[in-house]
Amino acid sequence: MNLKLPKKRSVKGPASIWKRIFAFIIDFFILNYIIFFPLKKHIIQIQATSYSEIMELTNNSEITLKITLVFFVASFLAIIYFTVLEKKFGQSVGKMLLNINVISDMKQMKIWQLLVRNMFLVPIFPFILLWIIDPIFMIANKEKKRLSEILSKTRVIENYSY
Amino acid sequence: MKKTNKQRSKWPFIITLIIFLFITAFILSAIISIFSMDVKDIGSNVAQIPIKGVIAAESSQDIFGMGVVSSTDIVQQIKKAEKNPTIKAIILEINSPGGSAVASDEIGTALKKVNKTKVAWIREVGASGGYWIASSSDHIIANKMSITGSIGVIGSYLEFAGLISDYNVTYRRLVSGKYKDMGSPFKEMTPKEESIFTKKLDTIHEIFINEVAINRGLSKEEMKRVSEAEFYLGTEALDLKLIDELGGKEEVIAHLEKELGEEVKIVEYKKKKTFFDILGDVFSYQSFFIGKGIGSEMFSKKRLVNEIDIIV
Repeated sequence: MNLKLPKKRSVKGPASIWKRIFAFIIDFFILNYIIFFPLKKHIIQIQATSYSEIMELTNNSEITLKITLVFFVASFLAIIYFTVLEKKFGQSVGKMLLNINVISDMKQMKIWQLLVRNMFLVPIFPFILLWIIDPIFMIANKEKKRLSEILSKTRVIENYSY
Repeated sequence: MKKTNKQRSKWPFIITLIIFLFITAFILSAIISIFSMDVKDIGSNVAQIPIKGVIAAESSQDIFGMGVVSSTDIVQQIKKAEKNPTIKAIILEINSPGGSAVASDEIGTALKKVNKTKVAWIREVGASGGYWIASSSDHIIANKMSITGSIGVIGSYLEFAGLISDYNVTYRRLVSGKYKDMGSPFKEMTPKEESIFTKKLDTIHEIFINEVAINRGLSKEEMKRVSEAEFYLGTEALDLKLIDELGGKEEVIAHLEKELGEEVKIVEYKKKKTFFDILGDVFSYQSFFIGKGIGSEMFSKKRLVNEIDIIV
Protein backbone atom coordinates (compact mmCIF):
# COMPACT_ATOMS: atom_id res chain seq x y z
CA MET A 1 0.00 0.00 0.00
CA ASN A 2 1.45 3.30 -1.05
CA LEU A 3 0.92 5.82 1.72
CA LYS A 4 0.92 9.34 0.42
CA LEU A 5 2.66 10.99 3.28
CA PRO A 6 3.37 14.71 3.13
CA LYS A 7 6.94 15.48 1.99
CA LYS A 8 9.41 16.71 4.53
CA ARG A 9 9.73 20.45 4.15
CA SER A 10 12.49 22.75 5.18
CA VAL A 11 12.78 26.45 5.49
CA LYS A 12 15.83 28.65 5.89
CA GLY A 13 15.93 30.89 8.91
CA PRO A 14 18.41 32.71 11.13
CA ALA A 15 20.87 30.28 12.66
CA SER A 16 20.54 29.67 16.38
CA ILE A 17 22.89 31.72 18.51
CA TRP A 18 24.23 28.63 20.27
CA LYS A 19 25.14 27.02 16.96
CA ARG A 20 26.94 30.16 15.91
CA ILE A 21 28.84 30.34 19.20
CA PHE A 22 29.89 26.69 19.00
CA ALA A 23 30.87 27.09 15.36
CA PHE A 24 33.07 30.03 16.33
CA ILE A 25 34.64 28.02 19.16
CA ILE A 26 35.48 25.22 16.72
CA ASP A 27 37.00 27.70 14.27
CA PHE A 28 38.97 29.35 17.06
CA PHE A 29 40.27 25.94 18.15
CA ILE A 30 41.47 25.28 14.60
CA LEU A 31 43.04 28.74 14.33
CA ASN A 32 44.79 28.17 17.64
CA TYR A 33 46.76 25.34 16.08
CA ILE A 34 47.37 26.70 12.61
CA ILE A 35 48.13 30.30 13.55
CA PHE A 36 48.89 30.65 17.26
CA PHE A 37 51.10 27.58 17.52
CA PRO A 38 53.71 28.90 15.04
CA LEU A 39 53.56 32.32 16.73
CA LYS A 40 53.64 30.88 20.26
CA LYS A 41 57.30 31.74 20.80
CA HIS A 42 56.55 35.42 20.25
CA ILE A 43 53.28 35.41 22.16
CA ILE A 44 54.98 33.93 25.25
CA GLN A 45 57.63 36.63 25.15
CA ILE A 46 55.16 39.48 25.07
CA GLN A 47 52.98 38.19 27.89
CA ALA A 48 52.92 40.44 30.91
CA THR A 49 51.84 39.26 34.34
CA SER A 50 51.90 42.55 36.17
CA TYR A 51 51.25 46.24 35.60
CA SER A 52 54.96 47.04 35.78
CA GLU A 53 55.71 44.43 33.13
CA ILE A 54 53.03 45.90 30.89
CA MET A 55 54.58 49.37 31.32
CA GLU A 56 58.04 47.99 30.58
CA LEU A 57 56.86 46.20 27.48
CA THR A 58 54.86 49.08 26.06
CA ASN A 59 57.46 51.75 26.82
CA ASN A 60 59.92 50.07 24.53
CA SER A 61 59.37 50.80 20.86
CA GLU A 62 61.04 47.55 19.77
CA ILE A 63 58.66 45.51 21.87
CA THR A 64 55.65 47.51 20.75
CA LEU A 65 56.64 46.82 17.16
CA LYS A 66 56.89 43.10 17.92
CA ILE A 67 53.47 43.06 19.61
CA THR A 68 51.97 44.88 16.62
CA LEU A 69 53.55 42.51 14.12
CA VAL A 70 52.42 39.39 15.98
CA PHE A 71 48.82 40.56 16.30
CA PHE A 72 48.61 41.73 12.71
CA VAL A 73 50.01 38.45 11.38
CA ALA A 74 47.55 36.45 13.49
CA SER A 75 44.54 38.53 12.45
CA PHE A 76 45.60 38.62 8.78
CA LEU A 77 45.74 34.82 8.65
CA ALA A 78 42.46 34.45 10.56
CA ILE A 79 40.73 36.82 8.14
CA ILE A 80 42.05 34.81 5.19
CA TYR A 81 40.72 31.61 6.78
CA PHE A 82 37.17 32.95 7.21
CA THR A 83 37.07 34.95 3.97
CA VAL A 84 38.31 32.18 1.68
CA LEU A 85 36.11 29.47 3.16
CA GLU A 86 32.97 31.62 3.33
CA LYS A 87 33.51 32.79 -0.25
CA LYS A 88 34.09 29.29 -1.59
CA PHE A 89 31.61 27.28 0.45
CA GLY A 90 29.55 29.81 2.35
CA GLN A 91 30.80 28.28 5.58
CA SER A 92 33.92 27.93 7.69
CA VAL A 93 34.83 24.53 9.18
CA GLY A 94 32.92 25.25 12.38
CA LYS A 95 29.82 26.29 10.47
CA MET A 96 30.17 23.23 8.24
CA LEU A 97 30.14 20.94 11.22
CA LEU A 98 27.07 22.66 12.65
CA ASN A 99 25.33 22.92 9.30
CA ILE A 100 24.92 26.67 9.16
CA ASN A 101 25.73 28.93 6.24
CA VAL A 102 26.64 32.48 5.44
CA ILE A 103 24.60 34.06 2.66
CA SER A 104 24.51 37.47 1.09
CA ASP A 105 21.47 39.74 1.12
CA MET A 106 22.52 40.82 -2.35
CA LYS A 107 22.55 38.68 -5.46
CA GLN A 108 26.09 37.40 -5.04
CA MET A 109 28.55 37.24 -2.18
CA LYS A 110 31.31 39.76 -2.75
CA ILE A 111 34.75 39.83 -1.14
CA TRP A 112 34.17 43.22 0.52
CA GLN A 113 31.14 41.77 2.29
CA LEU A 114 33.23 38.97 3.78
CA LEU A 115 35.99 41.37 4.80
CA VAL A 116 33.51 43.67 6.51
CA ARG A 117 31.75 40.83 8.35
CA ASN A 118 35.14 39.61 9.62
CA MET A 119 36.58 42.99 10.54
CA PHE A 120 36.20 42.20 14.25
CA LEU A 121 39.44 40.26 13.78
CA VAL A 122 41.43 43.42 13.02
CA PRO A 123 43.42 44.12 16.20
CA ILE A 124 43.11 47.89 16.31
CA PHE A 125 40.69 50.40 17.69
CA PRO A 126 37.80 50.75 16.83
CA PHE A 127 37.45 47.24 15.33
CA ILE A 128 38.31 45.63 18.63
CA LEU A 129 35.12 47.11 20.06
CA LEU A 130 33.17 44.77 17.76
CA TRP A 131 34.02 41.93 20.16
CA ILE A 132 31.56 43.60 22.54
CA ILE A 133 29.19 45.33 20.12
CA ASP A 134 28.60 42.37 17.79
CA PRO A 135 27.33 39.93 20.44
CA ILE A 136 25.06 42.65 21.90
CA PHE A 137 23.58 43.27 18.47
CA MET A 138 23.20 39.56 17.85
CA ILE A 139 21.23 39.05 21.04
CA ALA A 140 19.13 42.21 20.75
CA ASN A 141 18.51 41.93 17.02
CA LYS A 142 15.34 40.17 15.82
CA GLU A 143 17.19 38.59 12.92
CA LYS A 144 20.12 37.67 15.19
CA LYS A 145 22.51 39.70 13.06
CA ARG A 146 25.77 41.13 14.29
CA LEU A 147 26.55 44.75 13.52
CA SER A 148 29.25 43.55 11.09
CA GLU A 149 26.60 41.48 9.30
CA ILE A 150 24.23 44.41 9.07
CA LEU A 151 27.01 46.53 7.55
CA SER A 152 28.16 43.76 5.20
CA LYS A 153 24.62 42.75 4.21
CA THR A 154 25.19 39.10 5.08
CA ARG A 155 23.47 36.71 7.41
CA VAL A 156 23.98 33.27 8.90
CA ILE A 157 21.21 30.81 8.24
CA GLU A 158 20.32 27.21 8.89
CA ASN A 159 17.76 24.82 7.48
CA TYR A 160 14.79 24.18 9.70
CA SER A 161 12.95 20.97 8.73
CA TYR A 162 9.32 20.31 9.54
CA MET B 1 21.89 10.29 2.09
CA LYS B 2 24.97 9.92 -0.07
CA LYS B 3 27.29 12.84 -0.11
CA THR B 4 27.33 14.73 -3.34
CA ASN B 5 30.56 15.26 -5.21
CA LYS B 6 30.49 18.91 -4.16
CA GLN B 7 30.33 17.99 -0.46
CA ARG B 8 33.12 15.43 -0.83
CA SER B 9 35.38 17.85 -2.64
CA LYS B 10 35.28 20.44 0.17
CA TRP B 11 37.75 18.72 2.47
CA PRO B 12 40.81 18.61 0.17
CA PHE B 13 40.47 22.36 -0.36
CA ILE B 14 40.01 23.00 3.37
CA ILE B 15 43.02 20.89 4.29
CA THR B 16 45.11 22.62 1.64
CA LEU B 17 44.08 26.00 2.99
CA ILE B 18 44.89 24.98 6.57
CA ILE B 19 48.34 23.71 5.54
CA PHE B 20 48.96 26.90 3.57
CA LEU B 21 48.02 29.07 6.57
CA PHE B 22 50.16 26.95 8.90
CA ILE B 23 53.24 27.27 6.69
CA THR B 24 52.62 30.98 6.17
CA ALA B 25 52.37 31.46 9.94
CA PHE B 26 55.72 29.71 10.41
CA ILE B 27 57.40 31.80 7.70
CA LEU B 28 56.00 35.04 9.09
CA SER B 29 57.04 34.01 12.59
CA ALA B 30 60.60 33.49 11.32
CA ILE B 31 60.53 36.88 9.62
CA ILE B 32 59.35 38.52 12.86
CA SER B 33 62.27 36.82 14.67
CA ILE B 34 64.74 38.21 12.17
CA PHE B 35 63.44 41.75 12.14
CA SER B 36 62.56 42.24 15.78
CA MET B 37 64.61 41.97 18.94
CA ASP B 38 64.26 39.05 21.28
CA VAL B 39 62.11 40.50 24.04
CA LYS B 40 63.91 38.75 26.88
CA ASP B 41 67.17 40.44 25.95
CA ILE B 42 65.81 43.93 26.13
CA GLY B 43 67.09 45.81 29.14
CA SER B 44 69.13 42.87 30.43
CA ASN B 45 72.87 43.12 30.88
CA VAL B 46 73.70 39.77 32.49
CA ALA B 47 73.10 36.32 31.03
CA GLN B 48 72.52 33.47 33.46
CA ILE B 49 73.28 30.05 32.02
CA PRO B 50 72.14 27.09 34.13
CA ILE B 51 74.31 24.01 34.26
CA LYS B 52 72.21 21.50 36.12
CA GLY B 53 72.80 17.79 36.02
CA VAL B 54 75.38 15.42 34.65
CA ILE B 55 77.56 16.97 31.93
CA ALA B 56 77.71 15.19 28.61
CA ALA B 57 78.42 16.14 25.03
CA GLU B 58 74.86 15.34 23.96
CA SER B 59 71.80 15.00 26.16
CA SER B 60 70.76 11.67 24.65
CA GLN B 61 73.60 9.90 26.42
CA ASP B 62 71.56 9.71 29.59
CA ILE B 63 69.35 6.67 29.94
CA PHE B 64 66.31 8.75 30.67
CA GLY B 65 67.28 11.67 28.46
CA MET B 66 66.69 13.89 31.48
CA GLY B 67 68.92 15.60 34.09
CA VAL B 68 71.77 15.79 31.59
CA VAL B 69 73.44 18.99 30.47
CA SER B 70 74.62 19.03 26.91
CA SER B 71 77.90 20.83 26.39
CA THR B 72 76.78 21.58 22.83
CA ASP B 73 73.81 23.51 24.17
CA ILE B 74 75.82 25.30 26.86
CA VAL B 75 78.53 26.36 24.41
CA GLN B 76 75.80 27.68 22.13
CA GLN B 77 74.34 29.78 24.95
CA ILE B 78 77.81 31.07 25.89
CA LYS B 79 78.43 32.14 22.29
CA LYS B 80 75.01 33.77 22.14
CA ALA B 81 75.77 35.77 25.29
CA GLU B 82 79.15 36.69 23.89
CA LYS B 83 77.68 38.02 20.64
CA ASN B 84 74.97 40.07 22.35
CA PRO B 85 76.38 43.57 22.86
CA THR B 86 73.91 44.36 25.65
CA ILE B 87 75.16 41.45 27.77
CA LYS B 88 78.13 42.52 29.86
CA ALA B 89 78.54 39.52 32.14
CA ILE B 90 77.72 35.82 32.37
CA ILE B 91 76.59 33.91 35.44
CA LEU B 92 77.01 30.16 35.36
CA GLU B 93 74.52 28.66 37.75
CA ILE B 94 76.16 25.32 38.52
CA ASN B 95 74.46 22.39 40.19
CA SER B 96 76.36 19.47 38.70
CA PRO B 97 78.30 16.49 40.07
CA GLY B 98 80.39 16.43 36.92
CA GLY B 99 80.34 14.17 33.91
CA SER B 100 82.28 13.74 30.72
CA ALA B 101 85.82 15.14 30.70
CA VAL B 102 85.50 16.18 27.08
CA ALA B 103 82.19 17.94 27.60
CA SER B 104 83.49 19.78 30.68
CA ASP B 105 86.55 20.91 28.76
CA GLU B 106 84.43 22.10 25.85
CA ILE B 107 82.41 24.35 28.13
CA GLY B 108 85.49 25.55 30.04
CA THR B 109 87.32 26.42 26.84
CA ALA B 110 84.34 28.26 25.37
CA LEU B 111 83.96 30.22 28.58
CA LYS B 112 87.60 31.29 28.70
CA LYS B 113 87.33 32.72 25.18
CA VAL B 114 84.59 35.14 26.27
CA ASN B 115 85.91 38.60 26.97
CA LYS B 116 83.25 39.50 29.51
CA THR B 117 82.94 39.16 33.28
CA LYS B 118 82.13 35.57 34.23
CA VAL B 119 80.91 34.43 37.61
CA ALA B 120 80.33 30.83 38.62
CA TRP B 121 77.63 30.38 41.20
CA ILE B 122 77.80 26.92 42.76
CA ARG B 123 74.55 25.75 44.30
CA GLU B 124 74.37 22.33 46.00
CA VAL B 125 77.08 20.63 43.95
CA GLY B 126 79.82 21.92 41.69
CA ALA B 127 82.20 19.01 41.77
CA SER B 128 84.54 17.33 39.35
CA GLY B 129 83.51 18.44 35.83
CA GLY B 130 81.20 21.01 37.41
CA TYR B 131 84.18 22.46 39.23
CA TRP B 132 86.28 22.32 36.05
CA ILE B 133 83.76 24.63 34.43
CA ALA B 134 83.52 26.88 37.49
CA SER B 135 87.30 27.28 37.58
CA SER B 136 87.16 28.70 34.04
CA SER B 137 85.29 31.74 35.31
CA ASP B 138 86.69 34.91 36.89
CA HIS B 139 85.03 34.56 40.26
CA ILE B 140 83.49 31.59 42.06
CA ILE B 141 80.80 31.96 44.68
CA ALA B 142 79.49 28.93 46.58
CA ASN B 143 77.36 28.26 49.60
CA LYS B 144 79.28 27.30 52.76
CA MET B 145 77.84 23.81 52.44
CA SER B 146 78.16 23.40 48.67
CA ILE B 147 80.04 20.34 47.57
CA THR B 148 82.92 21.17 45.31
CA GLY B 149 86.39 20.02 44.39
CA SER B 150 86.63 16.31 43.58
CA ILE B 151 89.46 17.00 41.15
CA GLY B 152 89.85 13.47 39.92
CA VAL B 153 88.85 11.00 37.25
CA ILE B 154 86.81 7.80 37.45
CA GLY B 155 86.39 5.05 34.92
CA SER B 156 85.04 2.25 37.10
CA TYR B 157 82.61 -0.30 35.75
CA LEU B 158 80.99 -3.55 36.79
CA GLU B 159 82.80 -6.67 35.69
CA PHE B 160 80.53 -9.64 35.09
CA ALA B 161 83.13 -12.23 34.15
CA GLY B 162 82.62 -14.16 37.41
CA LEU B 163 78.84 -14.00 37.21
CA ILE B 164 78.57 -15.28 33.65
CA SER B 165 81.04 -18.03 34.47
CA ASP B 166 78.79 -19.12 37.39
CA TYR B 167 75.96 -19.52 34.91
CA ASN B 168 78.09 -21.50 32.49
CA VAL B 169 78.06 -18.72 29.94
CA THR B 170 81.16 -18.34 27.83
CA TYR B 171 82.60 -15.11 26.57
CA ARG B 172 83.70 -16.01 23.04
CA ARG B 173 86.59 -13.67 22.40
CA LEU B 174 86.92 -12.74 18.72
CA VAL B 175 89.10 -9.73 18.30
CA SER B 176 91.72 -8.45 15.99
CA GLY B 177 94.10 -6.30 18.00
CA LYS B 178 95.19 -7.35 21.47
CA TYR B 179 93.45 -4.58 23.40
CA LYS B 180 90.33 -4.30 21.27
CA ASP B 181 88.02 -5.65 23.97
CA MET B 182 89.85 -3.95 26.80
CA GLY B 183 87.23 -2.79 29.26
CA SER B 184 84.65 -5.35 28.23
CA PRO B 185 82.52 -6.20 31.28
CA PHE B 186 82.34 -9.84 30.18
CA LYS B 187 85.94 -10.67 30.77
CA GLU B 188 88.43 -10.22 33.53
CA MET B 189 90.71 -7.23 33.06
CA THR B 190 94.34 -8.29 32.84
CA PRO B 191 97.02 -6.47 34.87
CA LYS B 192 98.46 -5.07 31.65
CA GLU B 193 95.08 -3.71 30.57
CA GLU B 194 94.54 -2.22 34.01
CA SER B 195 97.91 -0.53 33.78
CA ILE B 196 97.02 0.95 30.36
CA PHE B 197 93.68 2.20 31.64
CA THR B 198 95.18 3.71 34.73
CA LYS B 199 97.74 5.56 32.62
CA LYS B 200 94.91 7.07 30.54
CA LEU B 201 93.05 8.12 33.67
CA ASP B 202 96.25 9.62 35.07
CA THR B 203 96.75 11.60 31.86
CA ILE B 204 93.24 13.03 32.05
CA HIS B 205 93.77 13.74 35.74
CA GLU B 206 96.96 15.63 34.91
CA ILE B 207 95.10 17.71 32.33
CA PHE B 208 92.35 18.44 34.85
CA ILE B 209 94.86 19.47 37.53
CA ASN B 210 96.76 21.72 35.13
CA GLU B 211 93.56 23.40 33.97
CA VAL B 212 92.51 24.19 37.52
CA ALA B 213 96.00 25.35 38.47
CA ILE B 214 96.10 27.78 35.52
CA ASN B 215 92.51 28.94 35.98
CA ARG B 216 92.86 29.53 39.70
CA GLY B 217 96.49 30.63 39.71
CA LEU B 218 97.41 27.96 42.25
CA SER B 219 100.98 26.92 42.97
CA LYS B 220 102.20 23.33 42.74
CA GLU B 221 102.01 22.88 46.49
CA GLU B 222 98.49 24.27 46.61
CA MET B 223 97.41 22.00 43.77
CA LYS B 224 98.98 18.97 45.39
CA ARG B 225 96.72 19.43 48.41
CA VAL B 226 93.59 19.29 46.29
CA SER B 227 94.55 16.73 43.64
CA GLU B 228 93.51 13.61 45.54
CA ALA B 229 89.92 13.97 44.25
CA GLU B 230 88.59 14.78 47.69
CA PHE B 231 85.40 16.79 47.70
CA TYR B 232 85.21 19.88 49.85
CA LEU B 233 82.48 21.90 51.43
CA GLY B 234 82.27 25.56 50.55
CA THR B 235 84.07 26.71 53.67
CA GLU B 236 86.92 24.26 53.07
CA ALA B 237 87.12 25.20 49.38
CA LEU B 238 87.48 28.87 50.34
CA ASP B 239 90.47 28.07 52.58
CA LEU B 240 92.03 26.04 49.77
CA LYS B 241 91.51 28.91 47.27
CA LEU B 242 89.27 26.77 45.13
CA ILE B 243 86.53 29.37 45.39
CA ASP B 244 86.55 33.14 45.95
CA GLU B 245 83.56 33.87 48.09
CA LEU B 246 80.84 32.27 50.16
CA GLY B 247 77.30 33.25 49.38
CA GLY B 248 74.32 32.91 47.11
CA LYS B 249 72.55 34.89 44.44
CA GLU B 250 72.63 38.13 46.38
CA GLU B 251 76.40 37.94 46.60
CA VAL B 252 76.59 37.15 42.89
CA ILE B 253 74.53 40.23 42.06
CA ALA B 254 76.52 42.40 44.46
CA HIS B 255 79.78 41.23 42.93
CA LEU B 256 78.56 41.92 39.40
CA GLU B 257 77.20 45.34 40.28
CA LYS B 258 80.59 46.21 41.74
CA GLU B 259 82.41 44.89 38.65
CA LEU B 260 80.11 46.44 36.08
CA GLY B 261 79.39 49.65 37.98
CA GLU B 262 75.71 49.47 37.10
CA GLU B 263 72.48 47.78 38.13
CA VAL B 264 72.27 44.17 37.14
CA LYS B 265 69.32 42.83 35.16
CA ILE B 266 69.51 39.11 34.61
CA VAL B 267 68.08 37.14 31.72
CA GLU B 268 68.20 33.36 31.64
CA TYR B 269 69.86 31.82 28.62
CA LYS B 270 68.91 28.25 28.10
CA LYS B 271 67.79 26.03 25.33
CA LYS B 272 64.05 26.04 25.31
CA LYS B 273 62.48 22.63 25.10
CA THR B 274 59.73 22.52 22.56
CA PHE B 275 56.86 20.12 22.83
CA PHE B 276 58.60 17.88 20.33
CA ASP B 277 61.86 17.91 22.35
CA ILE B 278 60.00 16.76 25.43
CA LEU B 279 58.20 14.13 23.38
CA GLY B 280 61.56 13.02 21.96
CA ASP B 281 63.07 12.76 25.44
CA VAL B 282 60.21 10.61 26.61
CA PHE B 283 60.33 8.30 23.62
CA SER B 284 64.07 8.36 23.13
CA TYR B 285 66.12 5.30 22.31
CA GLN B 286 67.17 4.72 25.90
CA SER B 287 63.63 5.12 27.24
CA PHE B 288 62.45 2.38 24.90
CA PHE B 289 65.02 0.02 26.40
CA ILE B 290 63.88 0.75 29.92
CA GLY B 291 60.94 -1.48 29.13
CA LYS B 292 63.32 -4.23 28.07
CA GLY B 293 65.27 -3.88 31.25
CA ILE B 294 68.12 -1.58 32.19
CA GLY B 295 70.39 -4.61 32.17
CA SER B 296 69.81 -5.39 28.50
CA GLU B 297 70.55 -1.77 27.58
CA MET B 298 73.84 -1.96 29.47
CA PHE B 299 74.82 -4.98 27.41
CA SER B 300 73.55 -3.75 24.08
CA LYS B 301 75.92 -3.98 21.12
CA LYS B 302 77.20 -0.45 21.23
CA ARG B 303 78.41 -0.87 24.80
CA LEU B 304 80.13 -4.24 24.37
CA VAL B 305 83.73 -3.22 24.05
CA ASN B 306 85.73 -0.10 24.76
CA GLU B 307 82.65 1.63 26.09
CA ILE B 308 83.88 2.53 29.56
CA ASP B 309 82.77 6.02 30.49
CA ILE B 310 85.54 8.19 31.79
CA ILE B 311 84.02 10.71 34.10
CA VAL B 312 85.47 13.70 35.88
